[in-house]
Amino acid sequence: MKEKRIRTLHIGWKIILIVLPVLTAFIALGIGRYYVSPMEVFQSITAKVSGSVSGLSDMAEMTIWNVRMPRILLALLAGAGLSAAGCAFQSLFANPLATPDTLGVASGASFGAALGLLLGLDMIGVQAVSLFMGGLAVTLTWLAGAGKNKGLSSIVLSGIMIGSLFNALVSLIKYIADEESQLPAITYWLMGGLNSAGYKTLMLGAPIILIGIIILFLLRWRMNLLPLSEDEAKSSGVNMGVLRGITILCATAITASCVSMCGQVGWVGLLIPHMCRMLFGSNHMALVPSSISFGAVFMVVVDTVARSATAEEIPVSILTAIIGAPFFIILMRRSGGWQL
Amino acid sequence: MRLSVEHGSFFYEKDRMIFEDINFSVDSGEILAILGPNGAGKTTMLRCITGMLKWKKGKSMLDGENIADMPSKKQWSRMAYVPQAKGVTSAYTAFEMVLLGRSSHLNPFSAPGRKDIRKAEEVMELLGITYLAEKKCSKMSGGELQMVLIAKALAAEPKVLILDEPESNLDFKNQLVVLDAMSGLAQKGMTCIFNTHYPAHALQRAHKALILSKGGDYVFGDTASVVNEENIQKAFGVQAVIGEIETKENIVKDVIPLSITPAERIIADGNDHKIQKNSENERAIAAITIIAQNNDMADRINSLLHAYSEMMIGRMGMPYKECGLYIINITLDGQEERIAKLSHDLSLLPGVSIKTTFAKGEF
Repeated sequence: MKEKRIRTLHIGWKIILIVLPVLTAFIALGIGRYYVSPMEVFQSITAKVSGSVSGLSDMAEMTIWNVRMPRILLALLAGAGLSAAGCAFQSLFANPLATPDTLGVASGASFGAALGLLLGLDMIGVQAVSLFMGGLAVTLTWLAGAGKNKGLSSIVLSGIMIGSLFNALVSLIKYIADEESQLPAITYWLMGGLNSAGYKTLMLGAPIILIGIIILFLLRWRMNLLPLSEDEAKSSGVNMGVLRGITILCATAITASCVSMCGQVGWVGLLIPHMCRMLFGSNHMALVPSSISFGAVFMVVVDTVARSATAEEIPVSILTAIIGAPFFIILMRRSGGWQL
Repeated sequence: MRLSVEHGSFFYEKDRMIFEDINFSVDSGEILAILGPNGAGKTTMLRCITGMLKWKKGKSMLDGENIADMPSKKQWSRMAYVPQAKGVTSAYTAFEMVLLGRSSHLNPFSAPGRKDIRKAEEVMELLGITYLAEKKCSKMSGGELQMVLIAKALAAEPKVLILDEPESNLDFKNQLVVLDAMSGLAQKGMTCIFNTHYPAHALQRAHKALILSKGGDYVFGDTASVVNEENIQKAFGVQAVIGEIETKENIVKDVIPLSITPAERIIADGNDHKIQKNSENERAIAAITIIAQNNDMADRINSLLHAYSEMMIGRMGMPYKECGLYIINITLDGQEERIAKLSHDLSLLPGVSIKTTFAKGEF
């Protein structure tokens, strides 16, 4: 009875939440145009860990470790990060429609990436400019919207303004970009994709996402205070300014880092947290870990489909919507609506 | 725990004072009712008391310690605030909501432990809402939600409880549920402050009253002497009668609004417009009959009577053990105001029947 009452995760769910992403990643390592069986993947991994020779062909080793591994790591991180960030934003603004882009961070990061591509920078350069612009967008939003006696809704509003400003700048860059080479690259990049994944970009982007996720995870009980009314939250004796600040900082850093590596991957930040709310309720003790885990799984699955379903790779954001929207509608109809 | 406000002044715009030099205090076991028309600043007052809004001048004190200088964690583990139960959209279950009340006892990165869970269960049981534990707050009725919010406040184990219009928007039964819960807590030593739109609830529940009127004018004192027809007319601009309805056990006070006082008359009254305390210093002689339902209550009554011993000219106490009753008859000779206060304080005790009869004539 008590177990049920506090709605923390049942031990069975805890195991599933840890095992499922690992298992999904393991299977995804083998799937693709060059098929490697799970047994061979296992051999390769144990060989790598123990430092011996796996006996697999060089081609298989290359595919697993240089092509698929960084990509799957990125998918795990981006999925977990975006859905944790989405969950944080929805609670922060007490608004079920909030997404990681609410404060204009994704638009800013997109603009940065487009600018980097226009200037012809390499992948790391594009990523760095993108991260910087994402941070700039949030800072501008904060400066424009925050202030004494101003509610959170004014921050949301200024986030929408700054977001559309940067979207306009992205359009401007597309307009002046070279139609033959740059425009397709920018357009394709904006659709989102994990094909640029490599250990180098991960070195820059992954720590930011990881730290953000860990802090949000540790704060999960406190995050329950975020959707409460101002007076209620204040009377909890918790410094709400600091809590909100840390939450925003983590969520935007995660988002900017994700966008800088894999473009605008929509839907994950909206879909996964709501799915988890329907499954586990609104208590962040369960919501945050489940969002992180299911976000990671979802992203790996979608990316695997994106790269292996057809001969040409399908942009991820198209797939997240095509898979996500109907799935979400079914869930919503079954569980009777969404709530924070 | 004693909560007091000293020289409290507040304004949003400099040329329009909301409060000016307000002083009052409430002690353990006492209930203070804050009354006033819409826009007089009742909620603002609560926000100032708790420090959510900063006093422009003056201070709030908890047992002699300035609240503004207290760390927020310390303050909110002694004081709890129950906001108006409207617009709660979060889909937490009642139990999760109550557990959130433990926040002031927890570190930033820690989750509630077994002790916190037990405390949350305790307060829900105390308020008789254990059956709500699994229900989502967004699906609750106003009365249920109000009780859950009170439980959330109590989970912090406060010494001072501050409630913003706890009985607004509730039906008769739920009003009683909420007000009884508050009275019960005060009986156990809680210092309570509540805002209300109903002067009758102040008369029936509160030991002390603070009436605010627009323009910063206020009066504070014992409920029996402050909440009267004159002050209601001045503060609310409404002519009202305070009726006494006799039941078999008690005499219940009620306030019935009759008509709106025309604005010209309020202005024409000039200085008389200021709300003030009754000055019924006339000598009166009265007899009070008290029947208490248990011995504990008899002790409480005795200690209350002790404070008025100088007016006591006759007293007879008789335990009627067979039926578990304790019957006291007292005769008093003193200021009418003091007799009224004693009679009022006795009437606030739960499970006590009391009637006061004044002698005719002047003395």
